[in-house]
This record gives sequence, structure tokens and C-alpha cells, in this order.
Amino acid sequence: MNFKVIGTEAPRPDGREKVTGAAVFVADLRMPGMLHARVLRSGQAHARLRRVDVSRAQALDGVKAVVTGARFQRPFGICITDQFPLARDKVRFAGEPVAAVIAVSEQVADEALKLIEVEYDPLPVVLDPREAIRPGAPLLHEDLGSYARVAGINPCPGTNIFHHFKIRRGELEETFHRADHVVDREYEFPSVHHVQLEPHGAIARLSPGGDLTVWSSSQAPFVVRHTVSRLLGLPASKVRVVVPYVGGGFGGKSDVTIEPLAACLATAVPGRAVRLVLAREEMFDGTVIGRGLYARYRTAVTREGRIIGEEILLTLNGGGYGDYAVNIVGGAAASATGPYEIPNLKIDAYGLYTNTPPTGACRGYGHPEVHWACERQREIIAREMGIDPVEFRLRNILGPGKSNALGQIMEEDHGRVDLCIRKVVEDLAGPRYFAGRGHGPGGRPAVRRGKGIAAFMKAPVMPTNAQSGAIIRLNEDGGATVSVGAVEMGQGTYTALGQIAAEALRLPVEMVRVVPFVDTEVSPYEWQTVASHTTWAVGNAILMAAADVLDQLKVAAGAAFGVSPEELEAGEGKIFLREAPVVSLPYSRLALGCTRSDGSAVNRPVIGRGTFVPSGLTYPDPETGQGNPAADWTFGCQGAEVEVDLRTGEITVLKLVTAIDAGRIINPLLARGQVLGAAAQALGSTLFEKLIYSEAGIMRNRSLTDYKIPGPEDMPLQTRVIFVETPEKTGPYGARGLGEHGTVGVPPAIGNALANALGADFYALPITAADVIRALKGKGGGLRAQTF
Amino acid sequence: MKHQIRVKVNAETHEAQVSSELTLLEFLRDTLGLTGTKMGCGNGECGACTVLLSGAPVRSCLILAVEADGQEILTVEGLARGDRLHPLQEAFLEKGAVQCGFCTPGMLLAAKALVDRQPDPDLKDVKEALGGHLCRCTGYESIFEAILAHPR
Ligand code: FES
Ligand code: FES
Repeated sequence: MNFKVIGTEAPRPDGREKVTGAAVFVADLRMPGMLHARVLRSGQAHARLRRVDVSRAQALDGVKAVVTGARFQRPFGICITDQFPLARDKVRFAGEPVAAVIAVSEQVADEALKLIEVEYDPLPVVLDPREAIRPGAPLLHEDLGSYARVAGINPCPGTNIFHHFKIRRGELEETFHRADHVVDREYEFPSVHHVQLEPHGAIARLSPGGDLTVWSSSQAPFVVRHTVSRLLGLPASKVRVVVPYVGGGFGGKSDVTIEPLAACLATAVPGRAVRLVLAREEMFDGTVIGRGLYARYRTAVTREGRIIGEEILLTLNGGGYGDYAVNIVGGAAASATGPYEIPNLKIDAYGLYTNTPPTGACRGYGHPEVHWACERQREIIAREMGIDPVEFRLRNILGPGKSNALGQIMEEDHGRVDLCIRKVVEDLAGPRYFAGRGHGPGGRPAVRRGKGIAAFMKAPVMPTNAQSGAIIRLNEDGGATVSVGAVEMGQGTYTALGQIAAEALRLPVEMVRVVPFVDTEVSPYEWQTVASHTTWAVGNAILMAAADVLDQLKVAAGAAFGVSPEELEAGEGKIFLREAPVVSLPYSRLALGCTRSDGSAVNRPVIGRGTFVPSGLTYPDPETGQGNPAADWTFGCQGAEVEVDLRTGEITVLKLVTAIDAGRIINPLLARGQVLGAAAQALGSTLFEKLIYSEAGIMRNRSLTDYKIPGPEDMPLQTRVIFVETPEKTGPYGARGLGEHGTVGVPPAIGNALANALGADFYALPITAADVIRALKGKGGGLRAQTF
Repeated sequence: MKHQIRVKVNAETHEAQVSSELTLLEFLRDTLGLTGTKMGCGNGECGACTVLLSGAPVRSCLILAVEADGQEILTVEGLARGDRLHPLQEAFLEKGAVQCGFCTPGMLLAAKALVDRQPDPDLKDVKEALGGHLCRCTGYESIFEAILAHPR
């Protein structure tokens, strides 16, 4: 196929606004008569609320309202309705909203917060999901059994387990009996924060007519609409959610975060807009956090290096409210094997309530967590069996005709992980590395270098009926305006979708504008902008809308020419006769009603409509996990070369290579930016990032000084991104998702490179200089490190 | 306590009565409505609020408006000449150095301060000039490339 726009580096339509400071984010909006809200957050991680006295705060000059949980009796939740916008009887994490002040300024609101008196009856705190699962652990939700929930969720009332997901394939016991070698290890991926540069913000206003508008930094405007309409008992049509540019989401602005609270606050001061923009510290403990997984892998292998069985136990920290994390449990389990065919499996994944902030979606959605474990495990098995780690992976690799953990059979167009592995090895290794222990570069005895790889796969985790829509209006100049419900949060979605629309409409890309915001009142429905599924799903909706536009144009031109539409073609902004291309009409003549010579109208305005829902997805079987919940996969491989200073333990990543089979690449510049950005985030998780709590459950590193993310100085010296482009059958022009995938293989690739360099296995992230030194002194132990 | 200040922002003179606690960031965003300068932390930890104060990059969330009295300030809104983007702005677009755009204003101004004093920086200079500037989207490489490649 010959593309005009697909595969080009079309410029970002939002680029000029973003480099000139004109791009508008929620915190930049000013509404007439706007008031400001600040939130009093619980200083206790687990406690009964005995008394909340707001009378002194209410009396402060400039305070318009002070609200507590007593005012809002309805719970909310996407999967399990287990929380309230403001705590009612109990707080379940330090940082949970207990009261809020609405005032004429943030300063006054802050003053008023200090006047609120709260009395707590502290309860025992549990922070580690491995403890929360034990009988007798402090119980967070006594009423778990009575909570409303969506289908496919399996909570265990009377415990802290809000979801137990199982995968069962084949015969495990017997498999372990006939195994020649068994490897049993535990791994930890701690809780981290997304650290979007833009703080979460929402402005809400209840109009005198009873309509509620929420302007929000949300990845999920339609989820916000649904949640808020249920919470306040308003019809969905009376709730309007507007999302301007979002300053980074990474999952931490998906589902709902502060919007239910902002909406409730607006009802306390009808007619006035209420602005709630979080301070940086509040982002850490007042929104959602990410990851937080312990994994145990027991693997049965034959002498020939075939993995014949695996038993996996995953324990996910869900935090105080399980709602957000429910689907991470299933997503992590579904990909827990990594891209390998393993005939006999027993996977148990548990989501646990604990007294930390709730865990939400986080770029990769369970996949970086399980790949940290499974790709370290693969490396360790290969080493213990004396098999080359690349060869070992390839012997067990998933590919066409093989079946994954869910029992889905892979096809050719699902992508080629084997090719990705070979490309990375080729780029990284040169002839020798994978065989032996790391070496020091010439003349620097105190330095060790090593290389490692990690293969990966990721499927979008989504409801079986996740819907997308697109509307294309043709304008009088022959150009098009495309409306979608997807949010621009940096990933370049309006660029890529504009390219898909331009290609399909046979227009130059400059003639297509994607509406650069979402307004649920006018934008077509979109499930939410998550799961790396937008190019794929919304792109498909756009293809359908564009086909609809072309059909309408051909019918109109056919009527004007007196020929049947089948005799017509579209190209370069014109409809023309296939047999005689000079007979043509430009879109501009047809867009708003072409007329005949006598003035009579030929056609109606051209508005194209497209919709998409993935076909054939089903719930997994509750007992075996088998089914068809994943719509597509993106496979890839990442490799790292590291250098370690043996005196200081300092780790330098010299090189980071990614090969990814994301199907056809719509925009190489943007695609590369997604992969590198994701890899940089994962580099942070590998080397620095971890949320730390006191014993009482107070988060200790709620600032960018105490919680370090990678800065300019921490970047690998060399990066490489290689695209393997096996076209996706179900994707627009063969495209697949790629936004999250660069996060998935980085931690194990670096972990494996460190093992190669140092002869030490690290099982817990992040791996710090102190861990290296401890390992070198043979003082590792536990999950920190072990030398081999 | 209110103070009278007089500052030149993007070549326009402004006089205002400001309270002694008002930060330069609040003055720019709330008083003057120049919302291109972003607040990422309010604590000097992210660099998003960087502007040039008499040519030097400062974190406007850490400076009081009164401290800027009598000085010249350049914000992201003042970088382009009418329709003509500053070469750094062009280079950021060309190299894909802009994703969500929230860190971009601060990055651009830090980069401007660098190339103003050192027209031909190397990678080390660039990394140093961007020290303490956080970007969570790009992985920085495209930003380095843009600054190194910007036409002079
Ligand atoms: S807002 Fe000033 S440094 Fe972050
Ligand atoms: S582009 Fe999003 S933080 Fe830099």
C-alpha cells in the first residue's frame, strides 16, 4: 500500500501552542466568581472518625462552605462501590479527604483547614499486601460482601481480598514431578507514583438550572460523567465534562480521582465555580499510586530447556480502596508468563486492601510488575541450566500457532517477539556477552560492565465492550473537522488520529483538524484514553467515519454527474470518475450542499459517523481464567548495557535498546518519543523510585526532592528504538498500541545486566548503589540481593 | 503589606500593588494572566516555573514579586517575535521535544539562558543547564537534541 500521510513525521497540531505558552491546562482556566477549595486529609492511615468539628472554620471570613462526609451519603466506584468522596465513618489511608473548605482564595481556605478539629480512634494498620492477606490481619472493609460491583469480580468477604483472579491450565502437580529442574524465587516491584508534571486539577460548577460542569485534567471524561451523574443522582445529559490539554497522565488521571469530590463541593455553593488544584504533596497521597506487587514464581523445566509448568502467586497492593486496582489484578495475571508458551499453569492473583493510598492504573498496567519477575526468572533458569539465555527464551517463545496463558492462539499478525529479541541482541551484544560474567573496560579495574535483555508482551486491559466514536464534519473549504472523545495528554493522539483521518479522507494532513479538547456534551463517546488503545480503537472509528464521508460524497457527486457512485473514486480532495479522472468535483463544492445549474440542491451537508467496539471479547472463565479478554498484543524486547563502579556502587546505564512490534507506525517521531519516554519512566522505577511509609502508614517521601524521578543527568548515554512492523489485522492501517510498552522490559533488562556484570541477583526494585555494595560484600539476603 | 512594583515583562511595563508574600509565579499567572509559566510543585523542585529575570533563569515559585521590582522578565509568551518562533521553539517542535508541554516553558527558558551565554553548547553544558528541570514524558533525549541542533 502506498501511503501519503501514514508513516510521515507530521507536525503536532498542539506544538505551536505548547512552545508559546498558549496551550491551556485546567489550572490556567479562570471562571467568573470562581471559588477555591482545599482539602483536609487524614493524618491517620486507619482509624474511625469520632468527631469532625468544622464550626470554627466555617466562621472564618471569606469561607463560603465547609463540607464533611456527612453531607454525601452515596458511595462510588468504577468496579466496586467502596468509597466516598469524603470519609464518613472511617479513614483507610493517610491522605484520604476528611473535610474540604471552599473559600474566596486558596490562602483563606488553607487558613480555615487549620481550624477544623478531627478526632480519630486509631485502628491497627496494614501496609504490606502479603500481611493483609493473612487471616487475622486488620480488616479494612467490613462490608465488602455487600458492596455493589460489576461482573467478573471475585471478592472474598471477611478478608482484605477485593479480587482473586485465577488461571488454570493443564496438570501442575504431575508436571513438577517430571521436571528436571525447578526454580523458585520471589520478586518485588514497590509502589511508585506517576509524577505527572501537571498537578491534578478540577473546576466544577452547578448551574442554577441544575446542570453540572466539570473541567478536569482527566484521561477519562466519560467515566467521570458516569460516576458523577450516579453520585449526584443527575441524568448523564446534565453532567458535562470538559478536558483541555492534560499535562501527563500515565494512568494516574484515568478512571476518576479528584472529580467526584470537586463535583460534590460544587453542590455546596450552587452557581459558583469551585476550583480544586492539588499541591504536589497531595498528588502523592491524595490521588492514586502505581504498581506495588509481590510475585512468587515456581518454574518446572526439562533438561532440554523447555518450560513445562509454572506456578505463580501475585499479591497486589490495592491500597485503601480496591476499585482502581481491580483490573490490574487480572491484567497482571494474564501476562504473568511473559511472551512464552507454558502448557501447565496455576496462577493466583490477589488484590489486597491495605492502608496506603489506592493503587491506580500506571503506564504498563500490571505488565512491568510481572515482567520484572518473569524475565528475571527466565534469566536465572537459563543460567542455572547452563543454557544461553537468548536461546532459552527462543525455545519457549510464543508465536503463531502457540497459545498464551488465557488459551488464545497466536496468529502471524499478532507480531513477532522472536524478531524483536534477535534485533536487540544483534544491536547490543556483538559476538560475545551472553555467555559470561561481566568484564571491566580496559584499565579500569574498579568498574564492571554487563548486558542483559528482557522480552515482553502487553495486551490492553479493558472492558469487553470498550467503545469509541468519531464524527467527521466536512467544511466548506473541503477540509475536515474530526471530533473524538480521546484526551491529548502528551502522547500525540491528535497528531496520529489526524494522520489516519487525512489518509482515509485522501486529504493533506493540514486540511484535517482534530478538535483539541474533549467536551462530553459534543464529543463522541470514548471509554477512556488508556491501555495504549486509542490509535487502534479510535483510529478504527475514524476509518469508518471517513468511509461514511466518502460514501456521501460519491452519492452526491454521482447525482451531480448522473453516474452511479460505484463509478467514482476519491483522491486529493476530489471525487472523480474512475474512467475519466478529469471529470471531478472538489470536496469543497460538495461539503455543504452542491447545487445543479438550475439552483436545486443535490445533497445534504456531509457528516461522517464512525464507531468501534472490539469484537468477540469475552469474560475469562472464573475458575480457569481461559477466555478471550485481550484484543491484541504488542510484543517487544529491551536490552541494557550497564556499568557499575565497584567502589561506590553507582550504576550507569550506558545503553538502552528497544525493539517493538507495534504494527504499522503512524508517526515515527512520535512513536519513538513514546517508547523513550516510557523507558525513562521505567528507568526511574529500576534505579530510584519507591514510596516509603512510616510504620503508622504516613508517606515519607511526598516531594520531588525526597521522591527522585530521573533528571536530565540520569539518562542512558545511548538509546536505540527499533520498530518491527508486522501489520495488525484489526488495526487502522495495521497499527497497534505502543504508548505504555517501553516501560515493560526495562527493569528486568537492567536487572539481568547487573547480574551479568556483578554475579549478583537483585529481586526487589529499585536497585540502588547501597544494594550493589551490600551485594558485593555478600551481605544481601532477602529480596535485596544474592550473589551467585 | 502592599508594595508598589514596576517590572518589564516581555518588553511591556507593568506597575502593580502586590502583597509581600505574592510569588513572582503568582504575579505572572494570576495578576498578569500570563499562564504560560507553569506551576509543577511550588517548591523549586521541578523547574516548570522557570523564567528569565534580567537574563538569568530563576524559579519564579521561589521568588517574591517584590524581588523582581525594577527588573526585566522574560516568560515563554515573550520568546517568539510575533509569528516568528524563536529558533529554540522551532527546534523543540522539530525534534519532538514537546509531549504534554507542561515542562516545555521552563525548559525553553533554561535553554535560552544557556544559548544566550554560550551559543555553541555541548551535551554536558545542556545537561548542566537543565539540571533540576524535570520532564516525565520525553526521557529528555529529544530536548537535548533540540538544544544542540537549534539554528543560531
Ligand atoms: S513550580 Fe517552581 S520549581 Fe516547580
Ligand atoms: S513534555 Fe510532559 S513533562 Fe515534559
